[in-house]
Amino acid sequence: MAEKPMWEQIGAGFVQHYYQQFDSNRVLLADLYTEASCLTWEGQGFQGKNAIMEKLTNLPFQKIQHSITAQDHQPTQDSCVISMVVGQLKVDDDPVMGFHQLFLLKNIDNKWICSNDMFRLALHNFG
Amino acid sequence: MGDKPIWEQIGSSFVQHYYQLFDTDRTQLGAIYIDASCLTWEGQQFQGKAAIVEKLSSLPFQKIAHSITAQDHQPTPDSCILSMVVGQLKADDDPIMGFHQMFLLKNINDAWVCTNDMFRLALHNFG
Repeated sequence: MAEKPMWEQIGAGFVQHYYQQFDSNRVLLADLYTEASCLTWEGQGFQGKNAIMEKLTNLPFQKIQHSITAQDHQPTQDSCVISMVVGQLKVDDDPVMGFHQLFLLKNIDNKWICSNDMFRLALHNFG
Repeated sequence: MGDKPIWEQIGSSFVQHYYQLFDTDRTQLGAIYIDASCLTWEGQQFQGKAAIVEKLSSLPFQKIAHSITAQDHQPTPDSCILSMVVGQLKADDDPIMGFHQMFLLKNINDAWVCTNDMFRLALHNFG
């Protein structure tokens, strides 16, 4: 059986690491962002590692668990990797909710960091 | 009230144009892709304008209508624009379904083209 393409290995490795950190100790996510990173969280924009980490660490729940239904990865023209995730999350005792997240990964000094991150709950306007 | 940032203007106008074309005559979508573009459609990969247009033109429905619940746009370190859409679609007489889509836009010879496109139906594994 053929090996997965490089970008898929990088993307899948990042995604697994990201949610593992998020669910166990999200303070550690700081390593994945730089001063140039941007996050859009439910429509709100955050620029740079500090602002992003402040937002993520202040999210109002005690515990959270993510699970992934599907993930797709592609290489970009500029040697980056884009990863899109469709999944579910459970916060504290709230009902499970769907979410959609997108990461653009860039290799800086031999390390894959997240330059762009977008998160939305899967809240659709039906009818 | 301030003007929207340039990347938001470009992103939202691309998104509007894309779904308008898709819903009226998706064979015309060729203009927004190039030979280096990739599409991942429900987990299947398509490389290059011709393969992408073939996939989109042969999707098995007569009519389709997309509506957008939310869209987010960000500039990338390589001067591209990343757009994420959460929306709903109705194909023929099927029930409305949620979808997630992302586009990476690049400016080539003064035109914004889509180099990376990923589409997934919002099918979540709850419970």
